[in-house]
Amino acid sequence: MSMIIISSDSNEKGEEIAHTTARTLNYTFLGRDLLPVAASRYGIPQEKLEWALEAPPRSWGGAARLQRRALSSIQATTLGALLADNAVCHGLAAHLYVVGISHALRVRILADPTELEREMSENQAVALEKSRILLDRRRRVRQRWSLTFFQIDETDPSRYDLVINLSQIVTEEAVKIIAQTVAHRRFAAMTYSLKCLRDAELASRVSAGLLEKFPKVKVRADGGTVIVETKGTRFNKMKRAAAIKAQVQGIEGVEYVEVHVKNGLSKKSATDS
Amino acid sequence: MAIITISRGSYSKGKEVAEEVASALGYECVSREVLLDASDRFNIPEMRLVRAIHDAPSILERLGREKQAYIAYIRCALARRARKDNVVYHGLAGHLLLKGIPHVLKVRIISDLEDRVKSEMERERMNEQEARSLILRDDEERRRWTRTLFGLDPWDSALYDLVLHIRKLTVADAAALICKAAKLKQFETTREARQKMDDLVVACEVKAAFVEEYTDVGVVCEFGNVLIYCKSGERIEHKLQEKAKKLTREISGVHHMEVHCGIPAPARAV
Repeated sequence: MSMIIISSDSNEKGEEIAHTTARTLNYTFLGRDLLPVAASRYGIPQEKLEWALEAPPRSWGGAARLQRRALSSIQATTLGALLADNAVCHGLAAHLYVVGISHALRVRILADPTELEREMSENQAVALEKSRILLDRRRRVRQRWSLTFFQIDETDPSRYDLVINLSQIVTEEAVKIIAQTVAHRRFAAMTYSLKCLRDAELASRVSAGLLEKFPKVKVRADGGTVIVETKGTRFNKMKRAAAIKAQVQGIEGVEYVEVHVKNGLSKKSATDS
Repeated sequence: MAIITISRGSYSKGKEVAEEVASALGYECVSREVLLDASDRFNIPEMRLVRAIHDAPSILERLGREKQAYIAYIRCALARRARKDNVVYHGLAGHLLLKGIPHVLKVRIISDLEDRVKSEMERERMNEQEARSLILRDDEERRRWTRTLFGLDPWDSALYDLVLHIRKLTVADAAALICKAAKLKQFETTREARQKMDDLVVACEVKAAFVEEYTDVGVVCEFGNVLIYCKSGERIEHKLQEKAKKLTREISGVHHMEVHCGIPAPARAV
């Protein structure tokens, strides 16, 4: 009982390896097929969800809020699907939010740069030199994207258990290496790691529900207890805390809600529970 | 059979992994031996070589010849060791010094800073702050070394075939994965791979012979045919040709040597 999170600098390669790994180990594959579920659950069009995953990060305005909300709903849906265990996940940015779950094997796949350049050059009908520049630009945008939304640099190897470079190693061999690694007992689900996953799922579900009305909330969960942190002015914090509490209490799995409204100006915390 | 280079930070358990891989595969495990070889062969004190491969060059050193020469000697010693095949090298820059050799499996071992600090505290009996600052300084020094001399970042995963994080993976797990990867067909010593390795040794020998006098020399060798590139103008061409003629007789494996002056060396040159 474990899960494999695959991230890659090439969507095609990453997906191919994730699919093959899932087939080899008889695991469920979780990919972009999950987006319609997220779309119907949170009322965001599927195209917007895809846009949120692919587009450069927006830093302000309505677009930024929508991108954040879309990513939050993808996160909640993915974590919910991961609760079923024995899954291989790719293309849903799970490597950025499945953190601190000991039974998750996090793998980064690096495609052969020459192959990537050639593909890009053919697809975009540009010279190889230009495709190199475009790829470099894409890599920098992805790095900024992951840092903006998850405060994690996705190119940092220390974020993964294993990084496989496909310049020399072919897909089938990469799959064998992943399968051999995940077979270790350390990647078996334990009571505590499952609890951590359930907590993360509940927190993300609450956060996804709140983000529409309250764009700046931070949510943590421990068991059925949910702690929501937000900012408000001296005048509206009581009202705000009550509104959040009322909304969160209706969510499945929530037993107790604690809302901390920090004063936006003095940063002094006020607690309402 | 393969050549395995293991790049590691200090206290990141790379040495333990290398030793376990070497013992499991029956390979030779080398690190300091390369420096000793270079020290013996080129008559340079080992400490100077250690500093050359560890400390990032200062502005003055970048202009000077010494560091470049020492690195050329170390590269030459490493290439000669690697030619024997079935070698695990754990030390600095193995993946860069043996660049272009197809049967080299390039591995990087990383581990969490906190674990590294703990290991250093235990081994060196120092407090946490000292250990942490030493490790961070060491990491930065290595980063600057690679950036200055090769224009690359050692933390870039694209430089390696495998990056293994010792945290959930243990030393034994990492060693098992490396052993499995080393047995892949791509890392077999084919006739072409052996030829490339022989050519690298020849190129390194020629470079080592030239580097003390001419730092900006770049050497390429293909099937024993050696091309020497020198950025300096044609006024030294005659001197280079004289030396090349002499070296053709002295270095085994050289069929023919050509000197090209005023032309920058290609990226694959040593």
